[in-house]
Formats: sequence, structure tokens, C-alpha cells
Amino acid sequence: MSEVIAADPAPPADTPAPDEPPPPVRPVPFRRRRSPLRARLRRDWPLLVMVAPGVLLLAVFHYLPALGNVVAFQDYNPYLGDGALSALVASPFIGLGNFRELFSDPAFWDAFWNTLAITAFQLVFFFPLPIALAILLDSIMSGRLRGFVQTVVYLPHFFSWVLVVTFFVQMLGGAGLLSQELRDAGITPPAIMTNPHTFIVLVTAESVWKDLGWGTIVFLAALAAVDPNLYEASAVDGAGRGRRLWHITLPALRPVIVLLLILRLGDALSVGFEQFLLQRDAVGRQAAEVLDTFVYHHAIATGDYGFGAAAGLFKALVGLVLILAANKLAHLLGERGVYSRT
Amino acid sequence: MTTMTPRRRHPARPAWEEEPGVATRAAKGTVLTLVVLAVLVPLWVVLLTSVSSRESINDAGGLVVVPRKLDLSAYAIIFSGGQISKALLVSTLVTVAGTALSLVVTVLAAYGLSRPGSLLQRGLLFYFLLTFLIYPGLVPQYLVVTGLGLKDSLWALILPSAVSVFNLVVVRAFFQNIPGELLDSARIDGAGEFRILWQIVLPLSKAVIAVVGLFYAVGYWNTWFNALLYIDDNEKFPIQRVLQGYILAGQAPQTSGTVSVALPPALAIKMAVVVVTVLPIALVYPFIQRHFTRGVIVGAVKG
Amino acid sequence: MLAGCGDKATRGGTTQELDKLAAVLPEQRPLAVSVPKPDILGTRPVADGYTRFPAQLVDAVAGKPGTGGPAIRAMTPVWGPAPPAGASNAYLTAVNAELGTPVEFSTQDGLTYAEKLGAVLGARDVPDLLCVPGWEVSKLARFGDAVRANFEDLTPYLSGAAVAAYPMLGTFPAGAWRHSCWNERLMSVPNPTDGPFPWALFYRKDLLTKAGIAVPATIEELYEAGRKATDPGKGVWAFTDIFAMVQMFYKVPGSKDGWRLKADGTPEFKYETPEYKAAAEFMSRLYKAGLVHPDIVASKGADAQQLLKSGKVMFHQDGIGMWQPMQAEQQKVTPGFEVQPVPLFSATGGSPLAWGDDEPISYTFIKKGLGKARVEEILRIINWCSAPFGTAEFDLREYGVAGKHHTRGADGPVKTELGFKEIQNQYFFISGRSPVVQPYPQTPQYVSQLLAYSNETVKNLEKDPWLGLKFEMPAKYKAGMQPTEDKMTDIVRGRRPASDIDVVVKEWRAAGGDEARQLLASALADSGR
Repeated sequence: MSEVIAADPAPPADTPAPDEPPPPVRPVPFRRRRSPLRARLRRDWPLLVMVAPGVLLLAVFHYLPALGNVVAFQDYNPYLGDGALSALVASPFIGLGNFRELFSDPAFWDAFWNTLAITAFQLVFFFPLPIALAILLDSIMSGRLRGFVQTVVYLPHFFSWVLVVTFFVQMLGGAGLLSQELRDAGITPPAIMTNPHTFIVLVTAESVWKDLGWGTIVFLAALAAVDPNLYEASAVDGAGRGRRLWHITLPALRPVIVLLLILRLGDALSVGFEQFLLQRDAVGRQAAEVLDTFVYHHAIATGDYGFGAAAGLFKALVGLVLILAANKLAHLLGERGVYSRT
Repeated sequence: MTTMTPRRRHPARPAWEEEPGVATRAAKGTVLTLVVLAVLVPLWVVLLTSVSSRESINDAGGLVVVPRKLDLSAYAIIFSGGQISKALLVSTLVTVAGTALSLVVTVLAAYGLSRPGSLLQRGLLFYFLLTFLIYPGLVPQYLVVTGLGLKDSLWALILPSAVSVFNLVVVRAFFQNIPGELLDSARIDGAGEFRILWQIVLPLSKAVIAVVGLFYAVGYWNTWFNALLYIDDNEKFPIQRVLQGYILAGQAPQTSGTVSVALPPALAIKMAVVVVTVLPIALVYPFIQRHFTRGVIVGAVKG
Repeated sequence: MLAGCGDKATRGGTTQELDKLAAVLPEQRPLAVSVPKPDILGTRPVADGYTRFPAQLVDAVAGKPGTGGPAIRAMTPVWGPAPPAGASNAYLTAVNAELGTPVEFSTQDGLTYAEKLGAVLGARDVPDLLCVPGWEVSKLARFGDAVRANFEDLTPYLSGAAVAAYPMLGTFPAGAWRHSCWNERLMSVPNPTDGPFPWALFYRKDLLTKAGIAVPATIEELYEAGRKATDPGKGVWAFTDIFAMVQMFYKVPGSKDGWRLKADGTPEFKYETPEYKAAAEFMSRLYKAGLVHPDIVASKGADAQQLLKSGKVMFHQDGIGMWQPMQAEQQKVTPGFEVQPVPLFSATGGSPLAWGDDEPISYTFIKKGLGKARVEEILRIINWCSAPFGTAEFDLREYGVAGKHHTRGADGPVKTELGFKEIQNQYFFISGRSPVVQPYPQTPQYVSQLLAYSNETVKNLEKDPWLGLKFEMPAKYKAGMQPTEDKMTDIVRGRRPASDIDVVVKEWRAAGGDEARQLLASALADSGR
């Protein structure tokens, strides 16, 4: 990498080395801590003004109703008292009762580990694919062809899960294309759609088909931000295709990759809902129960709102821990991550 | 492919870039062809089924792969309802206004949070990030929206989903990748933050703005659940709420005797709804992609 | 540790003893005006049938029910494109003109109606008139509490002789009214059902005849018919998921979702019975032999009715409501198309068993606190909308304005395109009617075939030992249902051995099963049965 940078007059500012000293020219010392509050306010008030509309919108439409999550600590009955709000006051507080109920249910832990396993599997076998496809698309010279391919591959994102699963059934199911061909050839078709042991592969394949193209969009935008002079300089220096990919393209994508990875981890306990409900009977609960389906059956369908809210808060907590841990790891690796320390 | 004779260089290929070898080309071509076919064939099936007659659908046992007798009655019934044109107007309004509002709020907040060490930056960033994790319940949200008098108002389709923290964090990451020298030199010249954002950061961020704009626009275009909760007036239904009705057509529990006319097959209507949903989105994409052009940042640094 | 402290109060479930509530129910009163007599009588709870439209319509209600008050806001479900609202809907304008006080409808998507209901009930933001379909009630937790918090108690308006002010409502069957009570008060107006059976096993008569397969009358014949009909090479399989019908053939109990009384008088759930075990074994045989269509096996989203229409399956379990529309639609496409229900039989000898009940199609609730005069006005409007088949009111409500929404042929009214667009059961879902089966000119045989099947099946209608009692089952029991159902599915689909049923039953008993049993047993004791 040093070789490439040495050849280039302006180092790529978007991939700073971890211990890089700050650039010499810094007229406004943002890094200086403990400056008097008033001075910081004078300097930063425009930034605060900019953030204000977002803060306000979220306060009203997100945090205010999110206060309702207090029912996680209640034996909540929405119909107590003489109004929706007085029901919150009238419902008895039971401390961590809902959480105790959650954690003592073995079915919850089954769903929990299932969900994490699917997330881990998809991080390895799904997450890198949009990056690869984005790089591949980016290398297509003809703008028209590139546009066509990109437009086509991102459309399945808008299909419902019922339709996606139906397509898979039509291709791989027992009455599907593959099975009929095998039958004609005298071979007993394998049970692809109903095998609980390979279900994790199946749901990942379905997700890949649905969202591969959609996932490339952010990476394509990131690739557009790469300085073409870097490639040229590197090529002039004799770096081949592979070296340029390794030393320029991937480092340029790295901040976005890390960011999306962290955000995905924050959502680690959500792997889908409808997709799993549809195929639940086909492979059984053992394979297809994930946290969201568990909560649906246990809380939503039975009207146990307090239990549902407790499960939601647990998800949030796990997500927070995973985000912070991944963020920390990113810092250790010299990445900015999603949440900077300074 | 005539691989023996030297190929004409693609005009877009820069002079320094070597021509890819035959093996590379073949591998790339194969992968792209497979990926495209894996999507195009189902798209074709959806399109074909949407214009298929009852007979063809019966013969196929469902989705139609081979064209037989064509029948446009599924589209006729969707468009003859008279609601579609109104709903398209509503959805366009919501999408345009919503996307504009969301982009303004998101870009401002992303820029406001992009400066590590600025006042309250850490706390505010955490405030935003936490919404990614903790969701409000259905009933409390309903109470807030109706309490603000937004029932049957199109704002109910916009305001509750106006800020996506995912989008915000992505925009912020792109802002942080803009070379610091650019902003610093502007600051030396005495430019305020709003001017820096407007004159330097935004022109350099067209790609990510386009992407996030697409995400927001798609979200508003597909808005449906908020409409179910907050819009009781049929005249104000957005397109997805209207289309949903057609998907359900014919699934009513048998109640009272109605002498049925020749409705198109339910499956054809379902697929026509998919087509009507996806088509505008497919048409919009090329305009987004225009902004994925290389080299904007470099030009700015040099200039 | 403070055991129990800080935990939920165990929601043990509640019972409503409707037997003791005879006093709150409205009197049964025959209608003063004479509507035409039905052509075929049904054995209750099967509705009577008409094979022809009456030539002369009678007027059921004199004068306008509304007193010109402000518009009444109503919310009803709709399956299909939402009809135009307000003044742009000529049908609503015409009916509202007859009513005197307009009803303003908010028509909501039928498939997601429960979610909308959950929001408006929880937020206590209900319209003046709210329709709650019967099948949604079980999806709404603590519905009894929701009813108390949101809706007007109609007992003073309708119980006993008070119903005389609303003569159409006085004709509704008593069973329907009994279901309309919550918290031992009369809380809603029922929309009585026209058919008591939840399921039928349909078959493609034309295709089965062509293949030389007889209609099965025993469980082994069903299996054999399935084996003969299945031909994967041609893409044809015998069955969709027919487990509910198989359970019925094996006489698995179905009351209150599967309870019955043992000989010694203690309640017993279906999972615990040898009948269920036999049914599960039979169903798993069908799966193992590959007689169920693979699309159905692989996804809940598979379109089972389309498979039947396409002849890709021969037997399909569905609601009775599937029959007429499918026959009417498909006979135009496939010459000779004929779909018929398999006559109910017993797999184990003796007379068969039919599940069923007289639960109403939907309930209409009136918002709490509107005041006596307003409630009475609304009830008069519900009364007008509840006029029976053969009256002018019914005709306008169902078919709209002649020449605009329908044309009148020799066979009766034929809806126009405008009629289909504007009429979507709006008023039907805020009222009721004395149920009948109407004539369908396109399928002239249908009414007699349906009545023949229904009158035969109703002979073996299961007797519900808890008839008239309404339960809110214990929370633990409710939460335990889905996991148990999943385990049974594993057994039926062959992922677990059939011998595991005993283990599953044991787990189910611990997960609220025994609690529910206790509730059901004490309910019987309390009501003196």
C-alpha cells in the first residue's frame, strides 16, 4: 500500500491509517477538548440547529410513543381505567416478571440461538455478495448494460415473501421444475424445500435472490466516490487488476462495509418474519422458529403486550451490546465505525 | 465471440487500463448472465401471468411460463376502478413531499453529527442510534398520531417515518469521507457551516443523496400500514392501499348472494398488482444511477 | 425470594354463563309482514333456501328510521377494492336517502382488519358503529374488557319485549343473540350465520368420474382414491392439507376448539383422544405416501384453490363458501367442471361426526356514551338494514338501484359493473338478517345440493356440552397452543414418530392444558350440568 500512496501526490483521505498524525493545516481545532462550553457553543451552534429538526421529529413520533414500552414491566391490560392513558397508570407494575417469564421459556432460547445462527450464516454467505456484485457491476464499461443489469437485479426486493417462496417452490419443490426433470430421468428428487437440516441454506438463498441487487446500491455509490487517479497512478506503477482491487477498491469501500456490518449486527435478532411463518410447517418449529415468530405466537397472538414489549427491549439490549462491541472492534482495526469515541 | 482477433477497446475504458483476458471476460459474463436470468425469468413469469386468461392459468396450474391466450382484463379491472388515478396522485404527493422533507432533515442531521468532538455530538448521535433499536408500540404510536389531529391527513403517512436512522448514518459516513482539507480551506475563507454544506459537501455527495433519496422514496411509495391505521377516507388512500384491495378481491367470506360477473382470475390480478407496483420503481432507477459518476471529489480537490 | 411477588396475576380465564342470562336476550317474534315462503327448509342451524327470486317484494319498514341527525360513522371490512365513499357512491346515497340519517363508511381491508381493530380498540377511538367479524374475536385478546371499555350496553334497548321496537332484530335466532353477550350483558347485534359447518372436503367430480374413481365413503377408500389419483409424472397429486376433515372422519372432538366430555364427565381435549392419534397416523400416511401436493407441503402461501381449479389436486378442504363461486366461475372456463363436497362419513363405524356451531358471521357494536336518543336512532337504522330476503329494503341493500346497479331479468337481479364497484356489503356488515340461502341463477342446482348436503350433515352435528357458555381461556393455555400444534405438525409430517404423541400431550397438559380442563369442568358444575 505504501508503494501506491508514495506514487500519489494526494493520499486518499478517506482511508487514514490509525495512527496518522493530524494534517498540519487545521485552523479550527475540533479535536481540542475541554474548551469552554461557551466557546464550543459559539462554534457549534449551526450544527445543533441542523440536528434539531431530526431530534424533534424523533422525539414526537418515536420516543414519545416508545415510552409505552413501560408496559414491559407491567401486567398490562389496555382496557383498564377510562382511557388509553389511564390504562397505563392502572396496570400493576410487576418489575422483571415479564423478563423472568421470557428467560425461563426454553422455546425462547431455541428461537434465540436459531436466530443468531441464521444471522451468523448470512453474515458469512450473504453479506459479501452485494459487495462482490457491486464491484463486478462497476467494472462493466457500457453504461447502458450496467444500468440494465442493475435495474433488473434490484427489482426482486419489491416482491412479497409469498411470491419469493412460491418461485422457489416452483423451481425446487416436489412439483417443481427440477423435480419433474429428475423424475423424467428416473431419479428420485431430493426434498429441498422440506429438509430442516438445510433450511438455513434455503432461507439464505431466498434472501440472496430477493435482496442481492438491492444491497449493491450503497456500495455502488461508495465506488463512485473512489478517485480514478488512484487507479491510474497505480496502473502506471505496474499494479495489476488484482492489486488495484486489493489496494484501492476494497480500502475505499471499507468504511461503508464496516458501517453496514455494524448496523446489521444491531439488527442481529431480526432475520425475517413472514418468510419463516410461510415455511414453518414445511420444516418444523425446530428449524424455522426465530425470535420474531416466537414473539408473534407468544405475545401478539395472545395479547400479552407486556411480554411482547419485554421481548422487544431484550432485542434492543442485545442489539446495543453487539453494536457497541462491533464498533469497538472497528476502532481497534482503525475504522471509524458508526459511533466515534471522540 | 471472436476472441482471436483483437477486440476494439471500449470507448469508456481509460487508456491506462489493460484489456481483460478471455478467462476473466468469460467468468464475468457467465456470472452476470446467471444473475440476470435468475431475476428475469421470474419477472417474465409475473408479467405473463398478469396477462393470462383463466384457461392458461388453469392449464399451468398457477404461474404461467409459456405464453398462450393473452387477456388484459386484470389490468382493465385495476384501472377501471377509478381509484387508481386518485391514489397515484396521493402517492406521488406523499412520495415527493415526504422524500424532500426526509432528505432535508437527514442531510442536515447527518452533517450536524459528522464532526467528532462538536458540542453534544456524542449524546445526540446516541439519541439517534437508539431509535434504531427501540421501537414504539402500535397503540402508543396511534395515540400520538391521532392526538396530533393527523388522522385522515397525508402527514400521517409522512411524519412518523420521516427520519430513518439507517439512512442518516449512511449519509454521515459519506460526509465523513470527504477530504477534510476541502472543508478547512472553506472555513478559512470564512464560510459558515450552512454554506459549506450547501456549496461543498452536497455537490460532492450526489451519489449518496441519490441512494438515500431512493430509499426514502421507495418507502413512501410503498407506504401501506400507516395508511391502514390512519387513513379512513377512501379518497386519500395511497396506491399500495388501493392495490392491496385488488389482491384480496374474491377472498371475501361467502355471505350474501351476489350474481358474479366474469372477474379476471385472482392470480392474474395479483400479478398485475406486482407489475403495477414494481414498474414505477424500475422506471425511476436510471435517474438515480446517473449520479453514480466517478470523479466528482477529485475535480473538487483539484479545482 | 418473594415467590410470585412481582409476577403477573395468573390470568386463569373466565366464563360467561349465558344460561343464566335468558333475561337479557330479546324475545323471539315472527315478522308481521309476510315474506315469500322458502322453497327448501333447512334443519336449524342450517338456513332455509330459495331457488327462485320472488316476483313481488314487500315493504318491511314504514317511514324512515333516521331522524336527520348527524351522519353515523361506521367501520366495516371489505375484501376487494375499496368502494367509493360518500357522495361519489350512488349506492350509498340511495340507501342513505331511505335511512333518513346517512351512514358514512370507512371500509377497511378484511385481511388486516384485526390489526386495525387492535389499534382502535386499544386507543379507544371507535366509530359510532363498528363491525367485528366473528373469526376476528378470538384474535383480539381480552375482548371482553375491550367491549366493556368501548361499547354501549344494549341490554336496556333490546332485551325481552324491548326488541319489539326493532321487529327485524326480533326474528334473529336465539343462538346468535346468545353469542352477542359479553360480561353477561347484551353488547352487540349479531349477523346470524347461514351455515354452521367450518369445513367440507371438496372433490373434482368431473375428473374423478373420468378417472373411474368412486367417491370415497370409508377412510381406506379415501386413501385408495388418493393413491389412484396421484401421478407425479403428470403433476397431479390427490390432496391439499385435509387434516381437519380427516379428524372429523375419525370423530375427533371439535367443540370449543376440540373439547368433549368423557364418560365420567371430565373434559378431555382432542390431543388426548385415541381418535386424534388415529387421525394423525392416517394423515402422516398420506404425507409419507406422497399423496399431498408438494406445493402445499412446502409453503403456507401456496394457492390451494388454484390447484383444485387446475386439476392438480383432486380433493381439497375448504369452507363451504368456496363451493358456489368456484363452480360459477370455472364452469365457464372448463367444460364439465364440477366440484362437490364428499358426503361426511365415519372412519371407525357408526354415525359420522360434524363439527359446527351457530356463531354469527359478525357483530355490530355501538360506541359508548352516544346518548339514548342517538342509540335508538342507530338501532332503528340497523333494524332497517336487517330486513329479510324478499323485502324491498333487502333488495335495495343487496342490489342497489334498479337500472343503475342491477338489471332485473327473469332469473332475478343481475348486478351491473357499477353495482360491483359500489356495493361491497357495507350495510350488511352493520346489521344482520334472518339467514336464508339465496338463489344463484348461474348455478341452478346449487341451492338444492347445498341444502341436501347440509341437512344430511347437520343430523350428526356434534353436541357442544358447553353450549351457550363463552370462555376466555387461561393465558397459559393460549400461549401453549401454538407450540403443541407445531409438535403435532412434526408428527403428522413424519419428522417425529407417532409414538411421541403421548409425550407431547404430557407437555401440553403442563403448559396450561390441565388449567383449561379445570375451567371447563367448573363451568359445567357452576351451570348445573
